[in-house]
Formats: sequence, structure tokens, C-alpha cells
Amino acid sequence: MSDKVVTLSEAVGLVEPGDTIALGGMTLYRRPVAFARELIRSRVKDLTLLALTAGYESDLLVGAGSVRRVRTCYFGLEIFGLAPMFTKKARDLEIIEETEVSLALGLRAALSGIGFQPARAWQGTDLLKVRPDVKTISCPYTGERYVAFPAIKPDVAVIHVQESDCQGTAILKGNLALDREMALAAKQTIITTERLVEEVEGQIATFPSRVDAVVLAPKGAYPTSCYPYYRLASQEVLDYVDACSRGEFEEYLARFLDGGEVGER
Amino acid sequence: MGSADRFTIDELIVTCISRQAKNSDLMAQGIATPLVVAGYILAKLTHAPDLIFAVAIGGCITNSWAPLSISRAEEANLERPLYIFSFDEAAGTLMFTIQPKEFFRPAQVDPRGDFNNVVLGDYYAPKLRLPGCGGIADVTNYSPRVYLYVPRHSRAVFVERLDFVSGVGVLEEEERKELSILSPGPRYLVTNLGTFDFEGGRMRLLSYHPGVRVERIQKKTGFPLAMAPDLHETPPPSAEEVMLLREEIDPLGIRELERLSGGRRRAKLREIIEREAEGF
Repeated sequence: MSDKVVTLSEAVGLVEPGDTIALGGMTLYRRPVAFARELIRSRVKDLTLLALTAGYESDLLVGAGSVRRVRTCYFGLEIFGLAPMFTKKARDLEIIEETEVSLALGLRAALSGIGFQPARAWQGTDLLKVRPDVKTISCPYTGERYVAFPAIKPDVAVIHVQESDCQGTAILKGNLALDREMALAAKQTIITTERLVEEVEGQIATFPSRVDAVVLAPKGAYPTSCYPYYRLASQEVLDYVDACSRGEFEEYLARFLDGGEVGER
Repeated sequence: MGSADRFTIDELIVTCISRQAKNSDLMAQGIATPLVVAGYILAKLTHAPDLIFAVAIGGCITNSWAPLSISRAEEANLERPLYIFSFDEAAGTLMFTIQPKEFFRPAQVDPRGDFNNVVLGDYYAPKLRLPGCGGIADVTNYSPRVYLYVPRHSRAVFVERLDFVSGVGVLEEEERKELSILSPGPRYLVTNLGTFDFEGGRMRLLSYHPGVRVERIQKKTGFPLAMAPDLHETPPPSAEEVMLLREEIDPLGIRELERLSGGRRRAKLREIIEREAEGF
């Protein structure tokens, strides 16, 4: 039986223009940065970017023009401040407002094979006004009004993991974000991994029957962290912010795509 | 006054946050909130030794702490986790049931405590797009433990009418019922000028910080403030609290970032990151 191990560019070939692509990890932690680099190189456009919280690589994707729509509950660089290209291009992007609950329960609805999940959330805010597609329902038992969060089915999920085998049985250490749910809900799932192993040890986070491609990508989350292998490279994130504040995004992007100075330290 | 050389305004805000934590409380930490993290740790090291933290960075619950760090926050949080959660669990069931206390930092606040973390200006043609509200629009529908902090109190923050509502304030009983909202609204607010609550659905000054005149607080607020009957000066941090903050909790001064902006902020960030790289 052949395994699913492919190159980064072969994996990126699974992404079609217009796809909803779910990126795993959280803001600056265990993000599929190497994949994002290859995705920008591929020039696939018109993507809907889905993330629990979007950070460094998402800002590069937005700055490079790969993304048309954004679905996340937070797009920023945490203590490093606003995500510069997202902030700059916000007026030109289609932003689909999400929160932790709408993302988590939207994926849960998809995983349950139903159209929505209800929750006590969003009411009394303006979110329902800017998301007219999100409806409220009356509880058949108590009569209370809840928000019915629609199912979310990404076309492609990309999860960077610490260890995987060649079939995509992978483990996650620490921070789980929404990665297990994204990997199960997406039509196609790509694993990028720090290490390829014969057999993983410990509780698994992905199921091989639901993984389509596995890519060996050591340091594939850099400059975001991959606990416990490497920390957030704060200096690099700050260099990015500084470059953008000088109006030098294009120069930074060129260096990023070269993959020399950035990502190899 | 003579107090300004004993403590900074950051340290006073941290102390006010710390005093809202009671022993054995569960405190939630969002992202990019060093004043809050410092406040929780200060509480743990003084009056609340049994404090437990639910942390977004690392995605876990822990009862241990480490000095504030930018590059090492995740591994510090994950060093001895009591529990690791996914956000499916956190947002779906866990936060609703364990109901931690959490301090949020709004970009705008209205008189009844509604707040905004989504956009400044018109939603469809924003003056400034903000990162987003995370889970605030969720939590403020149910939590009885919503707390706020504003490091730079101004008329741009405290406005009669929000550009966008993403956090729910103190609603009339009837409105709450109609919207299935369980939360009574924010319980407390600390700024660089004073402390407040929203008793009766109107922002109310509880205490003014040492050296700050009530008239100045009103002038910096874009709507009339109610006054608490026992309005008083905010008790300053003790010498021990200041010492713990400077020497144990945040020797790099990461908490100061929340009061800076632009080039000064980036310069401070660079200084902190360089010191971290040197092993501090």
C-alpha cells in the first residue's frame, strides 16, 4: 500500500481557486507557515481563509493577494499589534465575522452531519446584522431564543503537527486549537509534520482515513512556534511588523518566498 | 502627592486587577493582555494562592505561573498543565460551565457597558479594522464574570454610541429575557484614571486614582458619569506588591506595552525581545 507522503508543492496542488482553506494552530503557535509559503508561490487566488485566530502566515497570504474572504474570530499579531496587511486591506476583503462559538459549533455541526448547532451567543450584538445568513431559532423545549450557527465545511484543512506517520496518523502536543475538528470536517486534509515516524506514540489527533496528504516539513511552523521543538521567533515577527511599518511588505515577501533568510535560522 | 515615584500607573492598574481575584477563583487569560496576566499572578503571590488560570496561549488550565515573557509564554503555560482543552470543548461546553473570570480590553465602551472590539467607523468602510472580538460576543451572553480594563482612558474610548457592538452591557430585564442573555453585564472596569462599575445600567465612578481629579475623569469620558455614594481614592499598591511586580512577575516590563503605541511601542518591544534572547 502506498503512503500519502508528497512534496509541499504537490500538496498545494490540492487547493483550487475559490476554496475555503482552514489553517490549524493559533495566531502565532504551530501555524502551517511552510505551506502558506508554497501556497503564495502557487499563485492560487480567491481563497477563503478560515482560522480560529489568524496571525503571521495569514497576514502574508492576505498581503500577497491569495485571499479574498476571511473567516476568523481574531486577525492580529497578539502582543506585536495589528496584523499590518489585514488592517491595510480590510476594506477590500470580504470579512465574514466569526467568534469562538460560531467557528467551534459550525465545525461541530458539520461533524454531526446536521445543518446547525444552537448556542447562547451573539445576541444583543451587531454580529447578527452583518451576518444575515445566521438565523435564530426558538428552543422547542424552553421557548428561549438561540442563535443557530450554520455548519462549516472547509474544502481543505492544513494542520502542522509534531509527529505523523506516512498515512497521516498524527499527534498534537499542547495547544489543540480547532485542529482535530478542522481535519475531520474538511473535504481534504493535509498534514505537514516536523517528523515522519514509523509509528506515533500517544493519543492521536488525526485519523488516516481522513487525511489525504502528508508533507515532511521540519521547522514548518517557523517563525511561529512548534511546542516543544521550538519557540515563537519573536525577533522575526517583529522584523515583519517593522518592515510593513516602513512600507516594505513586498521586500519582506520576496525574502519570505526565497525561504533563505526567513525560516531557515 | 509624592506617590508617582513609588509606583507607576501600570502597576496601579495591575494591582486593581489583582484585587478582583478571590482565592480559588478560575481566571481566564486572553491574548496580548500582559497587565491582566501580571494582575492574576500578583493575586496568586499575595491574597489568592489557590488561583487557577485558563490560558489561551497553550490552550490549557494551569495553576503554575512564570515571569511574563513573549517568546516563552506558551512553554511556560504548558509546563505543568492540569488540563488541555480544544476550542471545540472550550467554546462549546467548558467556558459556559466553569465560567471563569476574565478581563477584556475594549476599544470602545458605551454608558451601559456595551463594548466594541471589531471596527472603528462605519462597518463597511472602516476607519480602522480591529482584530475582532474572539469569544466576547459569546461570553457576554452568559457569563456573570465579565471584567473590563482600559489602559488609556479617553473620549475616543468612552462614547455615547458604539461604532459596533460586540460585547453586551447591562440590559433591561425584559431585553435580557427576550435575547436569552444570562449575563448581568460587566461587573467592574479599571482604567488609568479610576475604577468603575455599571450599577443600574450606567457607568459609575467608584474610585479615582491618586493624583487624578474627578473633573478630569469626567472630561475624558464622552458621556456623564454616575458617582458612587462612597466615592474614594483608589488604594495604591503596597511596597510589597510593587516589589513583586518589578522583581518577580515582570522584570522585563512587558506590562508597559499596553500603554504605548506606534514607534515607541515597537522600540520597547525590540528591547524586551533582545533581552529575552539574552536569556532574561
